[in-house]
Amino acid sequence: MIETENLTRKFGNLTAVEDLTLKVDEGEVFGFLGPNAAGKTTTVRMLCCLIAKTSGKARIGDYEVGSEADCLAIRKMVGILPENVGLYDSLSAYRNLDFYGRLYEVPAQKRQENIERLLKLLGIWDRREDAVGTFSKGTKQKIAIARALIHDPQVLFLDEPTANLDPEASKTVRDFILDLKKEKHTIFMNTHNLDEAGRICDRIAILKTKLIAVGSPEDLERGTAGRKTVVHLESVTDPVLAAVKKLSVVKNVRTSENKLIIDMDNPEKDNPQLVRAVVKAGGEVQFVTELRSSLEDVYLKLVREAEAQ
Amino acid sequence: MRLWKAWIVATKDLSMFRKNKYILYSLIAMPLLMGILLPSIAIFSLQTEAAALTAAQLTATATLLINLFTSYFAIIAAILPTILASYSFVGEKIEKSLEPLLATPTTDGELLFGKSLASFVPCVGATYIGAVIFTIIIDAWSTINLGTTLVPNEYWAIVMGAVTPLVCVLSVEANVIISSRVNDVRAAQQLGAFVILPIILVMVFATTVQTIPLVTMALILSGAIAIADVALFYLSKATFQREEILTKWR
Repeated sequence: MIETENLTRKFGNLTAVEDLTLKVDEGEVFGFLGPNAAGKTTTVRMLCCLIAKTSGKARIGDYEVGSEADCLAIRKMVGILPENVGLYDSLSAYRNLDFYGRLYEVPAQKRQENIERLLKLLGIWDRREDAVGTFSKGTKQKIAIARALIHDPQVLFLDEPTANLDPEASKTVRDFILDLKKEKHTIFMNTHNLDEAGRICDRIAILKTKLIAVGSPEDLERGTAGRKTVVHLESVTDPVLAAVKKLSVVKNVRTSENKLIIDMDNPEKDNPQLVRAVVKAGGEVQFVTELRSSLEDVYLKLVREAEAQ
Repeated sequence: MRLWKAWIVATKDLSMFRKNKYILYSLIAMPLLMGILLPSIAIFSLQTEAAALTAAQLTATATLLINLFTSYFAIIAAILPTILASYSFVGEKIEKSLEPLLATPTTDGELLFGKSLASFVPCVGATYIGAVIFTIIIDAWSTINLGTTLVPNEYWAIVMGAVTPLVCVLSVEANVIISSRVNDVRAAQQLGAFVILPIILVMVFATTVQTIPLVTMALILSGAIAIADVALFYLSKATFQREEILTKWR
């Protein structure tokens, strides 16, 4: 649904996005992670035809990003939730959505149905005639999401959808995104919230001007930090440690209190051999668990590496 | 350009203006004041001179004075857009609503035309309200004192029917361009006031030229302003850069 090839954007001497190549499939929830000024918003703006690309290619569906002729078609098929909600405070929730529905050329009957459906889904229908200025930040965010969906877009760009929201409002927005995922919307989500990205996204890309990594949250967690098996023992003794170190499948071993933390490439295959060696050396095994790196660890490691380069 | 799209943008802006009392008051204050003040000055001057003039001379003097004051309404139509049109894009920037608006399938021309329309309608409407008050007071006086109504006359019709709306369009366009390029309402209004100065000077000059009859001058002025309106619309389209508006605005 979304494809970019060496997509680059420069502002004078400053390169905001460099050689970005990625592919987002239809119905996928794609997380775009990166520190501030990593180029996330610039990428979204380029894909929505709001700003021009300096070089490279990008397509959304059958349309070429940057082509004058295709820009209106792209804008019609995408919905965008910018970082700032940008609603008209003096107008009602209904009037805000109706205005955008009309600009997106949604027929009157369908527009009315969509507004009612979205506002009911987000629990704001009873306050539809209230001025948006009277709403809380979370409610405004919900209305902004409804605005992005008013024309049933095939692709949805969400820029920090839960930024500055309290935990309850964040949860509502997150649940709503998960509902949209079920409806097979393609969602491209910029976020700083790693936990949220891990829970919602099918795949995640980490950007720091250049694309650093891309994959499912699980793949990133495994691939970057390696896999570790933790053996909890009654006590760690020298013969047990020596026996483990002797194993060729063990890449590295360290101890922490009464635990052995062992780096291995293929724990599913090698753990039985490991446990046998520990038991044979007189170790009393209490538990065997897997130690996973969190997405946060992976993110920090990759971003720091990119910064160091 | 799809006019219905421009109208959607315009109706949204109009409903926002309606909800802002300060904008409404400042919009209506000047035309109302001028609608009362100008005929009052004219009547006071004419009453002072009346004793020394014959009926025919009084009518001629009154017509001259009233024609001059009628021109002032075209100047009002040039000034009022600094209140509304200067807010058109700056307002969107302040509300941070520019990005979602620019992301809609709306062309630059439709956005610009819609924004211009939203400023033009109330500005020209408020000017006409002032002009109607002016006309009623003048005609009430002239009916009593001269036994005839002085306005509408030919010059009044050209000024109200052509010069006023055309000059309002010119001022709206200039202010919309400024609004799309600055980030602050005050800056937009100050620059707006600055760019309408030449328009006002041309208007004042045109009404004081003695060698060309007033009606002919008004017709020439209408034609010139109409050409300037079209040129400025294309200039505003050419200078309207979505990207620049988005990336240079903080």
